Amino acid sequence: MDILIQLILLVPIAFLLGSLSERRHLRNLEEREKKCKGFKVTDTKIFHSISLDSPTPKLFIGEVTVASDYYKRFAGGLKNLFGGEIKSYSILMQRAQREAVLRIIESARGEGYNAICNLRIENADIGGNAEYKKASVMVSIIAYATAYKTNEQNPEA
Amino acid sequence: MIIVNTEVIPGYKIVELKGFVQGNTVRAKHAGRDIAASLKNLVGGELKGYTELLTEARREAMERMIAQAQQLGANAIVNVRFCTSAVTAGAAELYAYGTAVMVEKIEELT
Repeated sequence: MDILIQLILLVPIAFLLGSLSERRHLRNLEEREKKCKGFKVTDTKIFHSISLDSPTPKLFIGEVTVASDYYKRFAGGLKNLFGGEIKSYSILMQRAQREAVLRIIESARGEGYNAICNLRIENADIGGNAEYKKASVMVSIIAYATAYKTNEQNPEA
Repeated sequence: MIIVNTEVIPGYKIVELKGFVQGNTVRAKHAGRDIAASLKNLVGGELKGYTELLTEARREAMERMIAQAQQLGANAIVNVRFCTSAVTAGAAELYAYGTAVMVEKIEELT
């Protein structure tokens, strides 16, 4: 009975609110990424075409935790039976990663840098291995990179 | 203190190697935050409380790393890396490590 109530009540509500917030987040990400188009991002250790008047390079860090909703967990569980890509979870991961990198870019831009190198993206597990947390699906990402100033001309910058 | 996660710092040269420095912390949020997060888990979206938790933990780990570097008399840390692990639910364990060095600004390139 309990499960039935959960299914009938929670799944539609979670579906509506969850997909709404996901769509809003994706749109928001796209907008912000467009604004940062001229920003150079690499994960190499070399400072590509660093300008001579570049300020001292600095480490920037971005963190984010994004949770999946009840409906997606339910659908993900079903998909798990048949196998194959669980798209909603792929999107969830992608959202967290993009958000974390954007946070680095935005704070670096705020301090006058226009490029980052040696970008590292790391998963942080704050769910732990406790039994009751198994029910929740969330991704924590910590990304970090070194910001510098490049003299490369960007048409969009 | 110059902190980067690359091996070199452009415009500076490493004159002395001070050694490996590290800092770690395990932080948790109070139960109220955990409950709020589990509610938010129903509809999805960013869990601000846990993002904050990560930021705090990272800051603390870095502060400890920097304190160690200062004790060694370094003025920069290169090749900084972060590591996380799951000790217990609702807590963030962060481990920051790097190499403390003494750097000097390179004068006028000829």
